Amino acid sequence: MGSSAAQGITATGVSRSFGSVHAVRYATLAVPPGSVTALIGPNGAGKTTLLLMLASLLAPDTGTITIAGHDPVADPQAVRAAMGWMPDTLGSWPSLSVRAALEVTGRMYGMTRPAANARANELIGLTGLEALADRPSRVLSRGQKQRLSLARALVHSPAALLLDEPASGLDPTARVALRVLLRRLAGEGTAILVSSHVLSELDEMADAAVYLADGATASAERVALAGASARSWRIRSLDLAALEGSLRASGVSGTQTDHLGTLVQVDNEEAAADLLARLIGSGVRVCAFGPAVGDLEHTFLDLSLPEFNGGAAA
Amino acid sequence: MSNTLDTTSRPGPTPDRTPPRDFLTGLWLIVTLELRQRVRGVAWYVLLGIFVMLVAAVTVLLWLSTTAWETGGGAVFSAVIFFVLLLGTFVSPALSGNAINGDRDIGTLATTQVTLISTGQLVLGKFGAAWITALAFLAAAVPFLLFAVTLGQVSHATVAVSVLVLAAELGVIAAVGVGLSGVVTRPLFSIVVTYLIVAALSVGTPIAFALLGTATKSQQTLTSPAGCRDPATTVDVPRFDRYWWVLAANPYVVVADASPGVFDAFGNPQDLFGWIAVGVRQAQVAPDLQGESPYCNSTGQYFGGDEKQPTPRELYDNAVPSWFVGLGIHLVLGAGALLWAWRRTITPARRLPAGHRVA
Repeated sequence: MGSSAAQGITATGVSRSFGSVHAVRYATLAVPPGSVTALIGPNGAGKTTLLLMLASLLAPDTGTITIAGHDPVADPQAVRAAMGWMPDTLGSWPSLSVRAALEVTGRMYGMTRPAANARANELIGLTGLEALADRPSRVLSRGQKQRLSLARALVHSPAALLLDEPASGLDPTARVALRVLLRRLAGEGTAILVSSHVLSELDEMADAAVYLADGATASAERVALAGASARSWRIRSLDLAALEGSLRASGVSGTQTDHLGTLVQVDNEEAAADLLARLIGSGVRVCAFGPAVGDLEHTFLDLSLPEFNGGAAA
Repeated sequence: MSNTLDTTSRPGPTPDRTPPRDFLTGLWLIVTLELRQRVRGVAWYVLLGIFVMLVAAVTVLLWLSTTAWETGGGAVFSAVIFFVLLLGTFVSPALSGNAINGDRDIGTLATTQVTLISTGQLVLGKFGAAWITALAFLAAAVPFLLFAVTLGQVSHATVAVSVLVLAAELGVIAAVGVGLSGVVTRPLFSIVVTYLIVAALSVGTPIAFALLGTATKSQQTLTSPAGCRDPATTVDVPRFDRYWWVLAANPYVVVADASPGVFDAFGNPQDLFGWIAVGVRQAQVAPDLQGESPYCNSTGQYFGGDEKQPTPRELYDNAVPSWFVGLGIHLVLGAGALLWAWRRTITPARRLPAGHRVA
């Protein structure tokens, strides 16, 4: 972890328990500026607790955290000036309009009234809430509240961004817009940590992933191991019989056919490329050939297997 | 979504700002947000309208029933002040008792805490808004107070002191409500506890005073003067003098006792405040445990107890004013509640009580 990562988001050996419940046991991660890192884990893995600690709301029992070079326990004000947090609970002041809510948030960050007003207008455009700008926020739908929540996290143009399930409740257009926005913010140097369950979504925008299971982050070796394990590839052909014949001839076992295509187990990408070459070579008209699940999902599911969880306790 | 994103607007430290001014700016922001959020609305103005009508009715009825056009407005004035205190104690806990835990429930507490607003600004801002809300009732009652003053016999000192002490008492209720909302997790429960504390002070103190005083009795020995044939008698007397401070903690007593006493030529109080103050101060007088029987003099003749009784004015003047004891208790209670709420709300949170969430 170099000095550039310290300017982003880092956590080292962070733990936090509530009474006898160990919500986070040992979390270590680093998000360098200018990158998007996905925080992935099953329900109850401790993602939200970890984000609350990173967001300077909860003090860790052990371990250290830095956000933009500051420790949230020792200097929460400095962290808050540089950090934007989008919570998983969609809180908004019900009787305030979208514009007023953003203005008030801006002023809470010490902006002057005109500056907060200008920034609110900018963010309303950015998150596509123009039509709702002067409606009270209690009339917003879940997805619209989600966008308001994102806009609020961006009010002070933070150098580090913590997003807890930002895509849930968003329609497909808004999801694409969110992805484009986060990639652009990362391009401008923001360190972004995104927790989500929509793994295919994260596949397209995350530079790296942190896997959290039972309150502990998976080590890089375990992630590499899980990512390298055999996985399913899906093949679709215009001629199913020819495909099946060719697969049998190639000695590929464990095939399974559904309405989306034929699933085969392939050890790694090299083997997949070889298989595709052989299929084409034998004249099978292949129209789709690709991994059945995304990289993140594959790793996530593999890490969630019992043998990996057994290793997590060690 | 448009493609304009201004990354140059990162707020930096502005040199012309001073920490105290920044603190007050943030505090006022929370006060205004709270007022916009909680109290502004049609329902609020309807409530205020009903309040004004009630005060108007009380004023007119008192004016008619006390023949105030002859005797002056003292009774009307003190009754309106008490009425504002009564309605303040009814409304204020409901408006302040969920200030902090209610925000936690709707998810706006944590989003405020991740900004540069400090916990102190948050708690004090919510207290300020709750107090201002309660003071709106006092402000709405001002025309009726002025009407009572124009009836005469109400001194400027009475007006100033009773209004100020009433404002302070409304502040104490607001502080207890906001404080408990930061300590208790569930909004409904903190509102109920606030009501119970207000009820304990308003209704509980007279009950406790009466029960305590009558339960602890002392023996009073009344000896007969020499020459009188009666034997010495002993009677049990209640010791209210030991518990006068319980009564002093009553908000109505504080308001009444604080205003300067106004008496007529016979030493009788001119307003409700005076009568209450005399009653409370009378409780400070310890019974004379070794008295002389008042019914028989040294010549052995009997007579009725025509020993000169002190006038209310003499009682009032000879006792210690109790209002600052009561107000002191209230201020400690309010400040303590706010301090406790501040401790509980501070982030990053280290120890969380069971069932308590940060966000």
